[in-house]
Amino acid sequence: MTAQEFKSLILLKRPRYAKSRIPVIDAFANKGQSKSEYSQFGPIYELYIYAFRLGLKKGLKLPLPTRNMTQDFIEIGKWKRDSSLVDFLLMIIFSHCEEIGFDWNDLEDMEEKELNQVVSNIIEFIESYANGGLQYLQEEWENDNLMNSSYLFADLMNE
Amino acid sequence: MASIINSIAFENFFNYYGDYEDNKYELDEGINIIVADNGAGKSKFFNAFLWLFYDQILDSDTKKKINIRNAGVKILSDKAKNETPKGSYVKCGVMIEYTSGTRYKYQIIKSFTATRIGEQITDENSWQFVINEIEVNKTELVLHRYKPVYDEDEKTRIINGLIMKAFRKYSFLQGEEVDDIIDFSKKESIEEAVENLTDIKKYEQIHELLDEFKNKAFKDLQKQLKANNAQNERFDTAVEEKEKNEQQIDQEKIKLKQWTDTLNFAEEEKNELDKLYANAEKRKELDDKLKPLRKRLRDKQEEFETFLDRINNRFFDGNFAWIAMGFEEEVQKFRALNEHYIEKRYEKKALKNVEENPNEYFHFLPENSPDSVSLQNMIDDEHCYVCNREAKEGSPEYNNLIKLKNRTKDNQSQKPFVKNDLKNFFGDLQINAQTFYNKFDGIRESIIKTKEKEVELKDSIEKLKSKIKSVDEDRNSIMIAGHDAEQSARDIINNYTGAVRRMENANSKINDIIIPKINKLKQDLKAINDEIKSLNKSNDIPNGFNENYEVLSDLEEASQKAKDRVFDGMISLLEKHANIHFKNLIKNNDLSGGILKFEKNPNGSINFNYIDSKGNSVYGSSEGFQRMKKFSVVMAIISANNAEYNYPLLADAPISAFGEGFTEGFFEAIGDVFPQSIVLVKELFKQDDELKINELGKRLLKDPKVKTMYVNHVPENAEQIDIVTTQTKLK
Repeated sequence: MTAQEFKSLILLKRPRYAKSRIPVIDAFANKGQSKSEYSQFGPIYELYIYAFRLGLKKGLKLPLPTRNMTQDFIEIGKWKRDSSLVDFLLMIIFSHCEEIGFDWNDLEDMEEKELNQVVSNIIEFIESYANGGLQYLQEEWENDNLMNSSYLFADLMNE
Repeated sequence: MASIINSIAFENFFNYYGDYEDNKYELDEGINIIVADNGAGKSKFFNAFLWLFYDQILDSDTKKKINIRNAGVKILSDKAKNETPKGSYVKCGVMIEYTSGTRYKYQIIKSFTATRIGEQITDENSWQFVINEIEVNKTELVLHRYKPVYDEDEKTRIINGLIMKAFRKYSFLQGEEVDDIIDFSKKESIEEAVENLTDIKKYEQIHELLDEFKNKAFKDLQKQLKANNAQNERFDTAVEEKEKNEQQIDQEKIKLKQWTDTLNFAEEEKNELDKLYANAEKRKELDDKLKPLRKRLRDKQEEFETFLDRINNRFFDGNFAWIAMGFEEEVQKFRALNEHYIEKRYEKKALKNVEENPNEYFHFLPENSPDSVSLQNMIDDEHCYVCNREAKEGSPEYNNLIKLKNRTKDNQSQKPFVKNDLKNFFGDLQINAQTFYNKFDGIRESIIKTKEKEVELKDSIEKLKSKIKSVDEDRNSIMIAGHDAEQSARDIINNYTGAVRRMENANSKINDIIIPKINKLKQDLKAINDEIKSLNKSNDIPNGFNENYEVLSDLEEASQKAKDRVFDGMISLLEKHANIHFKNLIKNNDLSGGILKFEKNPNGSINFNYIDSKGNSVYGSSEGFQRMKKFSVVMAIISANNAEYNYPLLADAPISAFGEGFTEGFFEAIGDVFPQSIVLVKELFKQDDELKINELGKRLLKDPKVKTMYVNHVPENAEQIDIVTTQTKLK
């Protein structure tokens, strides 16, 4: 498998979120639609990446429920096209290889089946932290702890 | 014998909650000032006099006068209403005491009683009103003990004695009403003033009488002539001629009347629009100013909205890369992992090579070291420059150099040493993601700057808004109550210039055509009359008829002239006085000196103009200035009166449109004209001052002409039912 093929393997994946997060997604990602009273992100992936970062930094790892209680959205390869955002994201993820449970050099000797498993683990890693981050946001929001400011998310990163 | 109001007191009258003792203003001869901010009982105070004289109050919501019978719920203090239990009653009234001359003092009380019969205190149906009989009491000044007056005529006489009916309008000023007292759009208004001030009515009556006598004398004379000269053809022709001429004069007079009406109508419109015209121009100017300001505000607000909407974009935009904040460790870790990976990878590769071909150890040498040109040189020279030893052709050293040189070719045919070559995967990530992780140092700064930019945008929006608000307030303060606010400035300007054009047109018709024609006809008539007289002489008619007619003709002419002289004399006296007052009023203003001019129109009406130092009429000017002009005339009417003016001035904020310079002039001027002035004013109020008055108020407080000064207070932010006016006497 070439480097390009390996990357495509990841980029074709569509991470999932728990259906219970739909309210918080509706509140904080406008998807190009109407505005809410809160500061918002645009597409879902923006909120998702933000939640992932929040979950990772706060150590909030929360595995997704069973598949029928989750929902997917656009594949990673389509997140912010013509930008190196996804590359940066992958950099962060691959720096956490120990936690995910693989070694870079080992990857080069794996069979395709094994590689697929690693990629699955990577996606699960993203999903678990994003889910943790979303849950955090949801709780804060439901408990009315969020300061309604345009810098809500920037300020939240500093906490 | 001037009337001087000694006190005025209220009982549960509007915000004046409580009985008369709680709400009593003691007043003196001279200037009395009551300072009150908006809503602190200024207009209510004035309403007491409206009740007293006219049984009316001015509804501050509709600006209309309503009868006291229909105003009970409005007048009665809300607090008093609220405190009256169902079935009980409460009183509301005004009490005024005044002295006339040195002997008598009077007390007038107007009141009503309200009984509560329903729950809703502001509902008219919850109350039953009974208007109480007017109480008038009288005392000799030395006695201090009032006795009631029962005689209705005497009651009326006493109420009227405070301010005589004909003079109330000069005594009784409320804000914009100054404009209506002397309404220059109606020619009668000056004439009426002249009538009030002179005995011109008598001259008019004499003139009318004499005119009638003269006509009768002519008819008598004519009868005699006809009887004596039935055959005298020449005489008949002359009389016919005279009648024809008189008919023509009558016709011209009808025309004159029509054109005068046109002129008056146009003039009325012009005067009506006078104050609006200046305002309309000013308003248009402000509108022109507002338009670009509003556009700028819209643009800024849009910019601000977009800015806010895009703040979160900065997390993912490579130019800002806020999302990278806090990932420093990960990036370090990635680099370390990558180094380790590459190292391990080379080891792996080398080991694999050694495994497959243990003698090919040179593979340990880095690629291109030594480079192929140096190797060729060494082969050509049969010498190894690395270890500085000979390498003769055919020797193992020489062969080694050949092998080294061919190394690239071997590499190309090299087989992959891993199943999945991910070297470029990691390498590319590290290169591509630079955009994000290179921003680490600047992210916090970038967030701060973004916040600063927001503050900056907000500031400039606030600045624009307050600028627009202030221009808007200026603009809104320009239009005057009573005029359709929707009427556009352009319409006013068009109507104004239209009216001026029609005035000019009518004036030229009257002065250039009709009046010269009438004069010519009158001259002809005189010649005809002379001719008739000469014809008479040859006739034998009794002398008495001729003489009678001649004498009455002369008397009629003389009475006409006398009347005109009295009128002209009074007009020029008014003009003189008006100018004195006007100068006093404007002396604290940097207004360039002009004069007020009364000019008599050919048709007898009076034109009132402000003439600048070059002799040109000044049209337009501000509302305050217009009112100042009129107020000068009001004061002139009073001061030109031969006798001393005997009545107090009651003024409710007459100066709101004047400006501070005028305000000061106003207080100086009224002191000279009115024996007593009671002025209710908000312009002197200053909330954050200890005494609640401004600098001008303090100067006036020290002025010996100012005899009493009160400040009214109402609690701030109180509920309607808790609003109670209290007063502090400063002097």
